[in-house]
Amino acid sequence: MLQLKNIYKWFNTGSNRTFILKDINLDIKQGEFVSIMGPSGSGKSTLLNVMGMLDEPNEGKYIFLDQDVLHMKEKQRSEIYKSHIGFVFQAYHLIDELTVYENIETPLIYQNIKSGERKGMVADMLDRFQIVGKKDLFPNQLSGGQQQLVGIARALIVKPKLILADEPTGNLNSKQGEEIMNIFKELNGEGVTIIQVTHSEKNAEYGSRIIHLLDGRIEKES
Amino acid sequence: MIKNYFKIAWRNIMRHKAYSGINIFGLALGIAACLLILQYVSFELSYENFQANKDRIYRIQQDRYDNGKLSTQWAAGAFAVGNSFKDAIPEIEDYVKLVQNRGVITEVQDHPLKIDKVFFASASFFKIFTYPLLSGDKNTALKEPFTAALSETTARKIFGSTNVVGKRLELNRNSNYTITAVYKDAPVNTQIKPDILLSYATFIKMRGPDNNPETAWEWDGCLTYVLLHKDAAPATVEKKFPPIVEKFVGDDMKKFNSAVTYHLQPLKDIHLYSHYMLEPGPNGDGKTVYLLLGIAFFIVIIAWVNYINLATARAITRAREVGVRKAIGSQRKQLIFQFLSESALLNGIALLLSLVIVIAVIPGFNALSGQQISLSLFTQNQFWFSLGALFIAGVFLSGLYPAFVLSGFKPIDVLKGNMGSTKQSSLLRKSLVVFQFAASLFLLIGTVTVYRQIQYMRQQSLGINIDQTLVVSAPVVGIDSTYLPKMTAFKEELGQNTSIKNITISTSIPGEAVAWNAGGIKLVGSDESTQKQYRVIGVDYDYLRTYGLKLIAGRAFSKDFGTDDSSVIFNRKAIEQLGFNQPNEALNKRIDFWGRQYTIVGVTENFHQQSLHEAFEPLILRLIPDVKGYLSVKTNAAQANKTISLVKAEWNKFFPGNTFEYFFLDDHFNDQYKADQRFGQVFGLFTALAILVACMGLFGLASFTTLQRTKEIGIRKVLGASITSILKLLYREFAFLLLIAFVIATPLAWLSTSKWLESYAFRINLHWIYFVLPFFFMAFIALITVSFQSIKAAIANPVKSLRTE
Repeated sequence: MLQLKNIYKWFNTGSNRTFILKDINLDIKQGEFVSIMGPSGSGKSTLLNVMGMLDEPNEGKYIFLDQDVLHMKEKQRSEIYKSHIGFVFQAYHLIDELTVYENIETPLIYQNIKSGERKGMVADMLDRFQIVGKKDLFPNQLSGGQQQLVGIARALIVKPKLILADEPTGNLNSKQGEEIMNIFKELNGEGVTIIQVTHSEKNAEYGSRIIHLLDGRIEKES
Repeated sequence: MIKNYFKIAWRNIMRHKAYSGINIFGLALGIAACLLILQYVSFELSYENFQANKDRIYRIQQDRYDNGKLSTQWAAGAFAVGNSFKDAIPEIEDYVKLVQNRGVITEVQDHPLKIDKVFFASASFFKIFTYPLLSGDKNTALKEPFTAALSETTARKIFGSTNVVGKRLELNRNSNYTITAVYKDAPVNTQIKPDILLSYATFIKMRGPDNNPETAWEWDGCLTYVLLHKDAAPATVEKKFPPIVEKFVGDDMKKFNSAVTYHLQPLKDIHLYSHYMLEPGPNGDGKTVYLLLGIAFFIVIIAWVNYINLATARAITRAREVGVRKAIGSQRKQLIFQFLSESALLNGIALLLSLVIVIAVIPGFNALSGQQISLSLFTQNQFWFSLGALFIAGVFLSGLYPAFVLSGFKPIDVLKGNMGSTKQSSLLRKSLVVFQFAASLFLLIGTVTVYRQIQYMRQQSLGINIDQTLVVSAPVVGIDSTYLPKMTAFKEELGQNTSIKNITISTSIPGEAVAWNAGGIKLVGSDESTQKQYRVIGVDYDYLRTYGLKLIAGRAFSKDFGTDDSSVIFNRKAIEQLGFNQPNEALNKRIDFWGRQYTIVGVTENFHQQSLHEAFEPLILRLIPDVKGYLSVKTNAAQANKTISLVKAEWNKFFPGNTFEYFFLDDHFNDQYKADQRFGQVFGLFTALAILVACMGLFGLASFTTLQRTKEIGIRKVLGASITSILKLLYREFAFLLLIAFVIATPLAWLSTSKWLESYAFRINLHWIYFVLPFFFMAFIALITVSFQSIKAAIANPVKSLRTE
């Protein structure tokens, strides 16, 4: 699905160069459920953002679905991630001015999908996560767990091949967290590749593969 | 998609009510002000638009020079110009001569009816100008002597019908005309609004064969309009004037060391840019029109700036949304489009509100500006066009920059949360605030200057006493050899009354330009090249006494001197023009004045014949015992009504067949300042609006910056900062911006106000206080505006503000 080859990312402070990512080599296959772990500042989120094409490495090669994405134009790249990647954030990042329904619908609008078709797709999603009754509420009227459900629904609406989740349960209590992780498990069962960043050993266990980062390097894999 | 954008935009507007309110209300005020002023401006610019030939009609304007110096500038020049130019210049297709006549009196069912706007017009009048005829033939209407054309209204007034061609019209009980045409009334927006046109052939006939105006080059007072051929260039035509002038009057000019030049004035430019002698009607002022237009745009721009400032200041709160949208697949251009639709919605709401404001304030605006704008405004394409233009300009000028800033956020930065206010946009914001401050200061300084100048003009001593003076227009019927004894008896009769102090007759009264200009005046025995032009007022014996003029040498006219009908009194300016420095030197000198000799028996101090717009002119008071003109009655007490009825009764007894038209001279004089006062009021009003809109923006901006610094303020307080030191911190930034604005605005305001004052012959000197006062006023207003939020933030409990993190 995706390969990272000799990925470096750094920033310069005066004459010093501080590495955030250092020679990362990673090959992730279709259908895997990968958890990235590591202490604060080890580069987990940056790595995730690089894979999600929100951030660019200073050096290295990134092949996504057999395409060299770092040499693409911004527009092509956004075309790719728009249709293949769904993001789930720790802070949910729902748009406050939009209702649950509209939040889920928005990615489809950006893909120029027709209104009638959008309706059906959003309805399916609402059904699937049993939030039909909440479709006209605004994010601030929902609990954290519910907001994250909406966040996942929004990520899934474009039928992505890959879901990138940055500490998806970080702001949730354990029961809500468990629910979310089960949903990921289920999705993975349906063939969606999932890469999550997490602090929690327990959540990491849901995955099929755990990558440990330390100071920008892959320390070990299990 | 668009629906979606507008939905979000609407929710954003509703969610941030204060912010949206500031923007919408500010924009609405700006747009409304702009619309009203545009309406006024477009009216001023619409003068003569109804003339079908407007682009080909030019007026021939005349400049006279004495000794190489420009002495007089005329709207109505020499009589021979029209026919002489037409004969010699093939580019001139046709011409028309117009001569203003005094008001005339006709009788309607035995009652005198005065008609004011009367012109002699040559035969091409209806071919050149667009006054559609209701009846009559436009080719022959004014051809024959003693024919007349009436306006629709005049025809109805006199005959009660417009079907009057062929009827007889008697004027002033001494002349009869055959009516040959009735034309539609002139629209409001034209300079010449004739009630009656008499044929120019009549005028020639009245002058007699010895005084043929067609060959008169030194006799001024004839308006000449030419119609150029379609492809004729006015500059080329103008170049052909000097040789013709040379041919006719070259030798004379050389002899008198004088010169005359002619220029083509486009008909369309006359209303706003012409201010010459013998204009046939009042004109507007182009400078005022464009100044107001400038102010209107100032206000809208200030409102747009508010939008830009508040939108970019708020960017941080919108940044997360941008980040998320980009992460889920939005392209930058889609985001730009989204923010533009938000700006469009906001501008749209403001537009609707501005229409409401316009409807609400039309009556007030009319009263203030003297305009006649009505709701029919909304049926004009032009109005909707300006509205559309303002809308589109507003959406793009105010929306584009914030849209680019907002859509430019990188999702990675935003989602990580390391979003500082960018240096660039905060610098822009500061510059824009400086602009708003500077614009407000500029307008304030302007307002102060305008008001001071108006005040100055009204407080200045005129050098002539116009108080408690009742003026009656000259009689026109029964002016014959019995006039003098009748007038003398009339004056005597009135003089016996204790409520009347003095009575005088004169050809001019204060408050208007002296219409009698005499060239060719020089000291007896001096060279002909020393001839100069003077304004002349014909007066009776009582003029100086009645008007309280101050003599600085010699004596007033008096019946004790039998020869006084060949005496003149000069003003100071006139004896200076004659070549004397000391008034006494001019006494008993004799002058040549149109073939007769007169003796200077007295010199008066200069006085303000007209408003303080105008400089002192060289003026001759010439004694004419049987002078015809205004009757000025100086009354004693405040018994105005009683005096009026008294004068009227005597008037009707002595001058039957004349209308009794009167006014008080101080009102008449102060009418000259009406336009200035209106301008001052409109200027002041729009300055206040501009400041209001700017302050609303400042308020919004101060709220946001204070909000952003909540945490900083909390920490400072925990560390022991006092409330005053916090306030100082918050005020310092705005105070600094205001200072910069002051530095920018002062030289600009100084330049423009000096330029504005230049059009006044008597003007105030610019004083530093006119600049410093607005500055402190602005500082005060800004302080109050900023304080609303700052004080709240400064006295807030730091525990609270720190907990929000």
